[in-house]
Amino acid sequence: MVRRFELPDVGEGLTEAEIVSWLVAVGDPVTEDQPVAEVETDKAVVEVPSPVDGTVEELLADEGEMVPVGDVIITFATEADDGGAETSTESDDSGTEAESAVAAVSEAGDETGIEASGASDEETAAKGGRVFASPSARRLARELDVEIAAVEGSGPGGRVSEGDVRAHAEREADTAEPDAEPAVESATATVSDDDAASGEAVASPAPTGDIERAGREQTLAAPATRELADDEGVDLDDVPTDETRDGEAFVRPEQVREFAEAQQAAQAADAEAVQAGQEAGAVSTSVERVEERETREPYSGIRRTIGEQMETSKYTAPHVTHHDEVDVTELVETRSRLKQEAEERGQTLSYMPFVLKAVVAGLREYPVLNSQLDEERGEIVTKHYYNIGVAAATDAGLMVPVVEGVDRKGLLQLSEEMNELVDAARDRSIARESMQGGTFSVTNFGAIGGEYATPIINYPETAILGVGAIKEKPRVVDSEPQSGSEANGAAVSGEVVPRHVLTLSLSIDHRVIDGAEAAAFTNTVKEHLQNPELMLL
Amino acid sequence: MVVGDIATGTELLVIGAGPGGYVAAIRAAQLGLDTTLVEKDAYGGVCLNRGCIPSKALITGADTAHAARTAEEMGVHADPAVDMAALSGWKDDVVDQLTGGVEKLCKANGVKLIEGTAEFDSKGSVRVAHDGDGQGSETIEYEHAIIATGSRPIEIPGFEYDGERILSSKGALNLTSVPDDLLVVGAGYIGMELSTTYAKLGSNVEVIEMLDSALPVYEDDVARVVRDRAEELGVGFNFGEGASEWTETADGVRLTTETDDGGESTYEADHILVAVGRQPVTDTLGLESIGLEPTEAGFLDTDEFGETDVENVYAVGDVAGEPMLAHKASAEGEVVAERIAGEPSAMDFQSIPGAVFTDPEIGTVGMTEAEAEDAGFEPVVGQMPMNASGRALTLNEPEGFARVVADDETGFVLGAQIVAPEASELIGEVGVAIEMGATLDDIASTVHTHPTLSEAVMEAAMNASGHAVHTLNR
Repeated sequence: MVRRFELPDVGEGLTEAEIVSWLVAVGDPVTEDQPVAEVETDKAVVEVPSPVDGTVEELLADEGEMVPVGDVIITFATEADDGGAETSTESDDSGTEAESAVAAVSEAGDETGIEASGASDEETAAKGGRVFASPSARRLARELDVEIAAVEGSGPGGRVSEGDVRAHAEREADTAEPDAEPAVESATATVSDDDAASGEAVASPAPTGDIERAGREQTLAAPATRELADDEGVDLDDVPTDETRDGEAFVRPEQVREFAEAQQAAQAADAEAVQAGQEAGAVSTSVERVEERETREPYSGIRRTIGEQMETSKYTAPHVTHHDEVDVTELVETRSRLKQEAEERGQTLSYMPFVLKAVVAGLREYPVLNSQLDEERGEIVTKHYYNIGVAAATDAGLMVPVVEGVDRKGLLQLSEEMNELVDAARDRSIARESMQGGTFSVTNFGAIGGEYATPIINYPETAILGVGAIKEKPRVVDSEPQSGSEANGAAVSGEVVPRHVLTLSLSIDHRVIDGAEAAAFTNTVKEHLQNPELMLL
Repeated sequence: MVVGDIATGTELLVIGAGPGGYVAAIRAAQLGLDTTLVEKDAYGGVCLNRGCIPSKALITGADTAHAARTAEEMGVHADPAVDMAALSGWKDDVVDQLTGGVEKLCKANGVKLIEGTAEFDSKGSVRVAHDGDGQGSETIEYEHAIIATGSRPIEIPGFEYDGERILSSKGALNLTSVPDDLLVVGAGYIGMELSTTYAKLGSNVEVIEMLDSALPVYEDDVARVVRDRAEELGVGFNFGEGASEWTETADGVRLTTETDDGGESTYEADHILVAVGRQPVTDTLGLESIGLEPTEAGFLDTDEFGETDVENVYAVGDVAGEPMLAHKASAEGEVVAERIAGEPSAMDFQSIPGAVFTDPEIGTVGMTEAEAEDAGFEPVVGQMPMNASGRALTLNEPEGFARVVADDETGFVLGAQIVAPEASELIGEVGVAIEMGATLDDIASTVHTHPTLSEAVMEAAMNASGHAVHTLNR
């Protein structure tokens, strides 16, 4: 009989995927679980296993074709005696095909652990086509865009509660977000003012497990105290107290304030640890940490792809990271002037285009940083074009869209292209090609906060520049002040004055690049950032 | 647009002010949509004006008379006279109160009401012809349109409704005297409700049904209780006969029926009530001008959000398909209005309950045992006979039973069939249970008031798990 196999949902609720390559041809015998196709979702390439033993009868999608989840992509001719299908053994009629397709999909779902969607009367996900959940839980699922059939219910008989739906949505968000990882993950694309950036990172309330939480069932307090707790984002039941009234714990306003401060301090500490731009994610993971001591999630999908990429890079290329700082007081002024100009043209101008330009200046002088090691042929390939990857934290995880021909473009054009690419990466509309062909990468971990990091090279590139936050710091100015800095108060030689300082962290592949070259490259980048007019040359 | 047309625009146009349309219009207006509601006949639609509501009023009158007449066992002796005109007047008052309420609610919520018949001109535009010559028409341009035109009784060829001799359900609800003899063609729920009602009011009722049982959409044991009771009340059943022709006699009608094997019978009566089903109303809408085609059965296909094949044109209620029930129409109307307003609503109702107001009533929701099996469940069933219910006995209505169907493995409640006094009310509890994903244990562990009929639902749930106290567990 014929088994029709539908493209399963191989990612996190994805609706379509690209058939990268067929691993089998028509007429090939296949065994159950044998990979038959490579399918690429936004980022990950996944092998799709055969649900049955049989022979490939027809391939219904071309390589390179985008296929909606649920479309039949391949049919198998199988022996009738396999247990999965109880339908007729006729090998052609469409009436029976529909049912056997359902059987095939549900089997695949069982065996590969991926959700088969689309077939509503499929028994594994929803017996009798029904998910047992209250109307409010079902509505919440729609609100949170959760496929309720995929939610594991915690109630009697597996009934799905609102809590289950929320937990599922959070898990989905978590698997799609990078966790706290080395600096390269933490990048976002636009350099914003340092204050704004760090402010944002701290703004999201992230209760942590580091402070003492009472976790009572019930707490007595005056109405004003409750209001205060609400304002401070404090759960009264968590506020430690020794006092009781009528046998119940009683909390005073001072205790709420004290607790709120402790909570904020812990949050600030966390904000540094949690580098990735996961606003909602940070809250949910930390909350989960409070509720259960550990949670386990599958290491799979895009998370795994990122992980494997990092592993390859870190284990293949011996990393050395070179740290330095640069006085960008003048750049801050230049950019703030140009920003207004840009705004008049309907553009937002961040610091990133300046950084890209400075990087290109450095690469021109030290081309070895714009290279790749062709291990197979034993050659170092130096690129004479400048396609710079810009690391961006997205809901789906770290992505590195590539801005092409940075040397040939002006600041505004760079800014526009970069913003478009990053937006496309964030809403997952980005083309795969737009994330390929980079020659060097920049990661702006400073957008979240932090001074130095050790970025991981976007292998097979050989260098990556990490950019910290711009902060005002006291610095000894021991040369003649740059023109234009008079506005900050005339600095005289040898005096301590407030300066805008940007920190740089350059990781290199020491197989190809030496520390001296890294330092020299960094100096050139610094020069350009320090004297933005050099970029005019 | 024709000369004299006035063109206006609206965000949402609702065609038909029945339980689907008016609910959709009110909800849409509440959510801030500029909403226009077109009705050609009467606010509240068939349900309020000539269906659910007036029929229930008549049933109450008939029940009251019948109860008084048959209470000798309890020591109550009475011979009530029924003034049909007065009963009908009271019924009309109830209807007026409700339809007036609908109109007021619409206005209070800011729904613009227009009287007339709507016909699509083109996509995005509807022409409303006002009743009567010279009343003119107007063109309304809409962003979204909801078709809620409902249904009308099916006519048997040769039996055109005249409101005198050949009655539709509408005519049967407006009689001013109790007929001595009434013929009812069709033993569906409308035929059975009205047969029972007029039997209780004192008519001799004969039911003609082409199929071989009454209420054929219900399970045999459910339908059987109602049919037995109807026979007790004096209703005669003639199965396997189809109405073929009728003639007017001096003081009534003579009906000829045919059986499959060519046999003929004749019946004489004052009126013939034809209740052979209802059909959706789509033929007045000019659907071809927007390229919308009804199904073979005349319904409009919709997706889970109520949208038809034509973008921004929705359908709710009877016109959108079975079951043709007012509460289904209202629920759909709410969802569609909310969707148009951008809320995350969907028609994900797990079940639509149904009720028949016979004696005793039938209330059903969700799946029968057989349906559960077909859907892939291993159903377990529990039942409680009403003659074991203290409340049913003290009401002197011990006929019927409550049955609950659940999934054996998980205990999830899947359905219920109740044939009992107030079954239409009792079924609500099981509806909530199904919608919430409750289990047999959830129902069984909920303390029910004693002595009430609702205990029967709890007992049936207990019986399904083998823990019934007041019945023998099967």
